[in-house]
Amino acid sequence: MMIPVRCFTCGNVIGEHWDEFKRRAREGDEDPGKVLDELGVERHCCRRMMVSHKDLVDVVAPYQ
Amino acid sequence: MTNDFEVEFIEPGERSARFLVRGVSPAVANGIRRAMVADVPTFSIDTVRFVENSSVMFDEMIGLRLGLVPLSTPIGDFEEGDVVTLALDVEGPATAYSGDLESADAMVQPADENIPIIELKDGQHLEFEADAVLDSGKSHAKHQGGVSVGYRHLQRVEVAGDAGEFEEQEPNILRGVIEEAAAEHADADADATDGDLVATDAFDNDLTNRYPGKEVEVHDVPDAFVFHVETDGSFSVEELVLRAAETLGDRAAELESKVAI
Amino acid sequence: MELRVIDKTDEELRMEVAGEDHTFMNVIKGALLETDGVAAATYDMNPEQSGGQTEPILSIKTEAGVDPLDALGGASRDVQTTVEDFSEAFEAAAP
Repeated sequence: MMIPVRCFTCGNVIGEHWDEFKRRAREGDEDPGKVLDELGVERHCCRRMMVSHKDLVDVVAPYQ
Repeated sequence: MTNDFEVEFIEPGERSARFLVRGVSPAVANGIRRAMVADVPTFSIDTVRFVENSSVMFDEMIGLRLGLVPLSTPIGDFEEGDVVTLALDVEGPATAYSGDLESADAMVQPADENIPIIELKDGQHLEFEADAVLDSGKSHAKHQGGVSVGYRHLQRVEVAGDAGEFEEQEPNILRGVIEEAAAEHADADADATDGDLVATDAFDNDLTNRYPGKEVEVHDVPDAFVFHVETDGSFSVEELVLRAAETLGDRAAELESKVAI
Repeated sequence: MELRVIDKTDEELRMEVAGEDHTFMNVIKGALLETDGVAAATYDMNPEQSGGQTEPILSIKTEAGVDPLDALGGASRDVQTTVEDFSEAFEAAAP
């Protein structure tokens, strides 16, 4: 639904970087790996949180 | 007891740092590590009173997300159990961010301001008042100030001889920080001197990159630990380490006074 | 921290240290082993399944003429100096 605030595995705050990651790597066409490096999301546990996330608010919005 | 500590920063940083401590016993190193994770208190939202929540998430889900937002925790001014009230009022269409939280105390603020709490559509409204409590990581993981806190032995690398001349050399992977003890063989780094501290990332964690064609021996350096400390933003690494050491000292003082009676 | 003495003789002490865990118990045990006059020191944290005892129990044996309580007092003093020295060294090195 929304990006988790923290990485499930290590507890690092990753929500902070989601908007920029989304703007640059999802909507933009930058290389996701490079964007994550620049954002300081180093560990692969944190990186998978960003790479595998899908925003679903738009999908569930009509059913409030 | 001998207490000749030597501390050296390998990668200094505000929220993430690596430093070497020499002369520390494994018991104390582990005590400090454990204290950093579970005994240094931080503020975290604990109770939320919703005024209105017409977003697509349930109150509980928003409460969970709020609890995980790190809040800056100044030293000295607060005691465990203290409460600070925060409030948020956002009307859609907009996204409620952690930065929209208004704190009653200027010293306790969200450490990160761009964490999305919930995306609000047209006409949706989120308004609540929340209590942040100062508590330790022992009671709930959201109060942990340190994330991924750990240590490794400092490792000393010595060249034992030449590798077989016609053999294909296997990679020799090593992670952590090494203490240079064979500078004359460190081909990749021309200004290497014995005693240098080198993070293994510098040679891609593969000793055969640094000492090509050599047979190497790796030993742990006794009583020398390389700490890797990251905080969630509630305070700096420096404060976290000092406060962790302080909690250990406080308990020792308490034990001493109770034993004396 | 609540202390409850279980057994106490001139050279032996068994004591429950309620409210503590490995974080502190291991440090104090390490300090005790470095203290003069201490013959043996250990602590035990039984898992809940072993009869409900969950608080750590500290056991100390000393050589003749040394009171285990004094040894424990000395060890806690040592932990404090160790921690203070560490903090000082750390602050001096901090950038």
